[in-house]
Amino acid sequence: MKKIILNIIVVSGLMLSLSSCEDFLDTKPTNVIVAETAMLTLYDAGIVANGLYENMKWFDYYGTQMQLFGDQRGDNIQPRTLSVGWPQIYTLGYEAEANTYFSTWSRCYETIMRCNTLLGNIDKLQVTSTADIAKKNDYKGQAYAVRALVYFDLARLYGYPYAKDNGASLGAVLITEITSPANSKKPRSTVAETYAQALGDLETALPLLSKAKNTYHFNYWAAKLLQARIYLYKGEWNNAYTAAKEVIDQSPYSMVSNAGYVDYWKQEGANETVLELFVSNQARIDLDGGYVSMWHNLWHGAPSSGATLIPTVSWINLIKSEPGDVRANFVRYDSQYEISKAWLSKFPGNGGTNFRLNNPRILRITEAYLIAAEGALKGTAGASAASTYLNAVRKRANPSVSDVVATDDLIQIERRKEFIGEGHRFFDQMRLGKSITRADGDGHNFAVSAGCPETITWSYFKVVLPISHTERQLYPELQQNPGYTQ
Amino acid sequence: MKKRTFLLLCTLLLMVSYAFAQVRVTGVVTDASDGSPIPFVSIIIKGTSTGVSADERGAYVFANVPANATLVFSSVGYQPLEIAVDGRGVLNAVMTLAAVGLDEIMVVAYGSVKKGSYSGSATQINQNSFKDVPVVSFEQAIVGAVPGVQISQRSGQPGSLPEIRIRGFGSFNAGNEPLYVIDGVPATSGDYGSGNMFTSSMNFLNPGDIQSITVLKDAAASSLYGSRASNGVILITTKKGKAGKVVSTFKGNVALSYFAFDNYPMVSEADGETLTREAWTNYGTDNPVFWQSYGSLSNYVEAMVERYYPSRKSDLIYQDWEKALFRTGITQNYEYSISGGNDKSKVYASVAYADENGVNRIQYLNRVTASINAESKVSKKITIGGSFQFSNQKQSGHQDGQAKDNLFYLWKVHLTPRWPFKYASDDSYWMEYYDGGTRVNPVPQWHLQINDATQMRALLKGWAEVQLTDDIKIKTVLGGDYLKSHDRFAWLYGHINFTAYGKGYASDRFRNVDRIVSSTTANYNKSIDKHNIGVMVGWEAEKEDFLLSRLEKIDFANFGATESALANTFRAGFTYRSASNLLSAISNLNYDYDSRYYLSGSFRRDGSSRLGKDSRWGDFWSVSGSWRLSNEAFMRDINWLNELRIRGSYGTSGTLPSNYYGYMAVFSYGVYGNEGAGYPSNLANADLTWEKNRNWNIGIDARIFDKIDLVAEYYSKTTEDLLLNASVPSTTGFSSALTNVGSMLNKGLELSINYDIIKKNDMSLSVGLNWANLHNEILALANEGEQIVTRPHIWKAGYSYVQYYTREYYGADPQTGAAMYYSNATKPDGTRDRTLVGRAQAQSVILDGMTAIPKGFGGFNANFSWKSLTASMAWSYKYGHYVFDNAVDDIDDDGYNSYKNTSEDQLNRWQKPGDVTQVPRRIAGNTGGGYYDSSRALKKGDYLRLKNMTISYNIPDKVKNSLRISNARIYVAGNNLLTFTGLNFDPEVQANGYYNFTFPALRTITLGIEVSL
Repeated sequence: MKKIILNIIVVSGLMLSLSSCEDFLDTKPTNVIVAETAMLTLYDAGIVANGLYENMKWFDYYGTQMQLFGDQRGDNIQPRTLSVGWPQIYTLGYEAEANTYFSTWSRCYETIMRCNTLLGNIDKLQVTSTADIAKKNDYKGQAYAVRALVYFDLARLYGYPYAKDNGASLGAVLITEITSPANSKKPRSTVAETYAQALGDLETALPLLSKAKNTYHFNYWAAKLLQARIYLYKGEWNNAYTAAKEVIDQSPYSMVSNAGYVDYWKQEGANETVLELFVSNQARIDLDGGYVSMWHNLWHGAPSSGATLIPTVSWINLIKSEPGDVRANFVRYDSQYEISKAWLSKFPGNGGTNFRLNNPRILRITEAYLIAAEGALKGTAGASAASTYLNAVRKRANPSVSDVVATDDLIQIERRKEFIGEGHRFFDQMRLGKSITRADGDGHNFAVSAGCPETITWSYFKVVLPISHTERQLYPELQQNPGYTQ
Repeated sequence: MKKRTFLLLCTLLLMVSYAFAQVRVTGVVTDASDGSPIPFVSIIIKGTSTGVSADERGAYVFANVPANATLVFSSVGYQPLEIAVDGRGVLNAVMTLAAVGLDEIMVVAYGSVKKGSYSGSATQINQNSFKDVPVVSFEQAIVGAVPGVQISQRSGQPGSLPEIRIRGFGSFNAGNEPLYVIDGVPATSGDYGSGNMFTSSMNFLNPGDIQSITVLKDAAASSLYGSRASNGVILITTKKGKAGKVVSTFKGNVALSYFAFDNYPMVSEADGETLTREAWTNYGTDNPVFWQSYGSLSNYVEAMVERYYPSRKSDLIYQDWEKALFRTGITQNYEYSISGGNDKSKVYASVAYADENGVNRIQYLNRVTASINAESKVSKKITIGGSFQFSNQKQSGHQDGQAKDNLFYLWKVHLTPRWPFKYASDDSYWMEYYDGGTRVNPVPQWHLQINDATQMRALLKGWAEVQLTDDIKIKTVLGGDYLKSHDRFAWLYGHINFTAYGKGYASDRFRNVDRIVSSTTANYNKSIDKHNIGVMVGWEAEKEDFLLSRLEKIDFANFGATESALANTFRAGFTYRSASNLLSAISNLNYDYDSRYYLSGSFRRDGSSRLGKDSRWGDFWSVSGSWRLSNEAFMRDINWLNELRIRGSYGTSGTLPSNYYGYMAVFSYGVYGNEGAGYPSNLANADLTWEKNRNWNIGIDARIFDKIDLVAEYYSKTTEDLLLNASVPSTTGFSSALTNVGSMLNKGLELSINYDIIKKNDMSLSVGLNWANLHNEILALANEGEQIVTRPHIWKAGYSYVQYYTREYYGADPQTGAAMYYSNATKPDGTRDRTLVGRAQAQSVILDGMTAIPKGFGGFNANFSWKSLTASMAWSYKYGHYVFDNAVDDIDDDGYNSYKNTSEDQLNRWQKPGDVTQVPRRIAGNTGGGYYDSSRALKKGDYLRLKNMTISYNIPDKVKNSLRISNARIYVAGNNLLTFTGLNFDPEVQANGYYNFTFPALRTITLGIEVSL
């Protein structure tokens, strides 16, 4: 009897003492890593650096929508009908009340948060060897460069073109460190301040970054080319020219040949590419990333693929105006769908096997040539330098054309031809104060009937995206763009 | 004074009768519910203290009983029974369990009490009321029986988990499910189904093994369960061995089931054609450009009708899809239990097998359960016991169960009478896609898909109790609860999705939930004069480990392959664990004086691993008291008032985050190219804490005229620090963070009445009715004026948790037949614009008064017994609420989809100017139609349903004796036999009012037999 009582007391006491310590209540997850221990080695930091690009692959950023904001709001690409393929982007039919198209805003800030998290933690890493220090600096540089890209994108999506008011309009909310919900309720900066942030981040990034080829990550050359692009948008022609020229002259990249041009789009990490996002189809381990990257039915009109987006008639006419242009091969006519029956076969998928998986190109060496051309033409280098770069691109596409003397119109036409599907056209026209006119006259353009002005200039309030009401409800200090409901 | 006179008279009478005659009475006392003998019943002559006690087999011999005396039989837990001797020598007594009455012993948190001394709000249901109910899930027993509790069947699929809401909704994101406690040990609950199938983890319990279910509602009842008690607690007590003769019982039943309701009546084939033709005619009339190439409108219309509602072809075989897809479900249930013991040791053991072939031709479920429950008084002061419950369940669903992925949906929406079944030429299946559709003939696909699940559950418990002194008792319990589930999904060769990912697809998912609970409590009970005091202190530790393993592979090596072992390509696979621990100190104090005044208090301190270091400890407490007025001297003379008691309670309880690590900043990992990609995936909230519930309850219990029991209760429950995945500014880089915000109120009145109309020895009739209402209101959210749209609902301060938010539908424009809505745009003066507009222009608004909260709900029941025959029925009802019928989208779409089925509702469509109807003019491809997310889908959900009815007959003694069995009984029972509602689909919709083609409830008829040896 006493023994049993004793046993009970002992067993019960033992259980109590085992569990009474606080340790019992400290449990840890195993499918995620507690933040404090997430970046203890250089390897970990590299994985976190990958996280920056992983986020940009999603459909609401470089997976699809970033390109559409440039092409579908322009005159290169249109939806097949008004019920498929993001028609609200096409018709500029977005409202502040709807959430549908505004995950781009939050996707951008998620990427910025990832950059800030990497930057806020990486200095805790103690590394000693030269190689390790270089690696660490490279990761740091990548985070600054990615952040620069995102701020630049926010400025061009949500702010008016720099040239319109010298950057006085509203730009991005600038968040440069790990922040709490309370501290993140900051008002928007101006476009000029956002540009300054992006350029400043690049200044910091450039000396840190490696110059070795690193197609799926920012390296020195990608950052330099981005810098050239931002200068171009800002109208600093000489700076744009200098930066682009450095990339052309010194980087390990070179333009793909005319013969290799069509196949280039199937290749991963080709020499033409300065920066692309890696959507692997190896062992299908990256299906999610692939699924949302260059979303298949947006781009592919092949019979039965469920095409939703097609090239506009005006683009088709443009590309066919000079016979022999290799880029005209992208237009194919075997679609089952109405309208022009045409579709764009520029993005056939990595290896040409699975059109669901395309590596989005963010920076190509060809862009450096066209930036150099424009920078030279409008800056002090002059038209002859500009012509050299422009003709290099023109002749790569169509060896049968003869050289021209560069003009701004010729450069912009070349950009339009070259960058279809890569998200430049609308932004190019806007940054130059030009207009987009979508009246094909053949009944294929239905933006106008859906309420969009036929001609869009930077004075139309919808050339900048609205800040969603949902976001403004959380903190009204976040200013709305003019013209939209508060 | 009166009493004394009465006693004196009795004594006198007795003395007189003594002088007349005395008899020797023998007999057996049995339980009315199952005919099993009741051991050790005390039998006295009424008005005296002369008595005997029955033996362990329920038999008694009572010598020298006056021939005109009355015998009073009493036993704990049974209603006292009086039988007049009338000179008879054999008196067999049949006693019924005390279902009502304040002396009933109730299982409550960490113990049991007499109902009359309990100040909390709790309702106990004894096994009598559900033993014949032919359901595999015991939760159905609570339907309509406990005021204030809403239960709905989420799905009629075998093995699905009913939804239980005790006193409203308490939470946004932490769940509203109650805590289940089995024999004192908190248990794993919830749905562990796969994507296509429901699997309730509580399904492991064989209803036949359950002795009672207690629903704890207020703080006094539940706050001893602290941080998990906010949504109420359900205590399940399993059967224990009874001392006395060994009783072995065999029970078997067979049940047939089919849909309980004629869901969504569809138009006839002829009407379907008419409506299709009309839709295309209207379309063509509106858009002449489309028929130009056809020459005439009628040519065009006929071509379109032929395309979308094609005429029957002689080379094709058509089928009544209902017959092809569904059958009468057959459920078989067999259980064998054995119970016995002596005054020292008692054992109960059972095995059971249930086999359910669902109404859906591809559903089945089978389950084996076994249990043992034993205890022994090993010495004068020590009792030890142990129990184990085991179950193994297999079920298969094949694309069944949840919304829009089941045969019910296919049948109602896609499979029109004009959908061919087979080719006449070679009897092969017609497998083409219908024009514009995405579905194919499901029949030949059934066996080409694997979607099944097994669930193993074992509950093990050991305990010991020591009576240290006369007043002090210590009990320690160690319980283990192991849940192991494995579900499979595969697309085999020949399936329409065979090439979706590769050549075939097979996935396995394993989940383990291991829970160990240890508790030790000490009880001190002391009575001094009229003061009774009881104190309990103790502690409890609980450890829950969760393990998930997943494997997905594609590309079968052989087209006969069914498992991932024979798939070549790895697609996904991982394993992870998580753990949730809880450490608690518990205490309880009960005091009563002279069975008149009762006071109780409880206190629990909980520490949880789901919260950050600085906020993980929390205190929960309650105080309650009651006053038994009827035991006061000044009330004793009121003859018609048998019992009167008022009681009240106040206290707190909580809800823990359902996310184990919601407070932590963590990194998740994805893939970038060929490497990992890490990123912060959760915004840390070190201050995260539980939801707190402040809860008060007042009640009154009465019994009058020795016939009528009344209970009335009023409660108010305010939940604060609600757990919400609150939106945070995107500039944080996150969309939401688990936060404690806002508050919510639930209050309501609950009434129940029970009337013993007839109460005689061989006949009784009682009826009961209960009614409850509920007021639910969100008092505050994170930010002032914030509204969170959770279509079709909205969360906003001042409105209910299930307030509907959508466009306000008007009906068809009488002139044009177009679907019209109220604009409801806010005008500058703040009022709503009531102009009628089209759908695109109509704004979604809060529709005042349209919520899923009923104005009243409850049930009523009647129990009748006459000699060997008993009959009972239970009804449930709910009224004053709205349900959101998402099927409107699919079958009431005004012509939007020409190839789909059409509901009878569409026959009321607008046809000519002047028609006043809710159904607009039908137009093919009608994008302006009323079909999409508007108040047109909101319907009054009122219903009344005969939940179950049972008739049971005990075999006469003669037959029993000749067969040498102690009891035998046959019964027939029915579920969901009658339903009255204005809805065109099964009205038993979950508490948030949203319905979207889940498999509807079934009507079941059961025939059963029970034999005890």
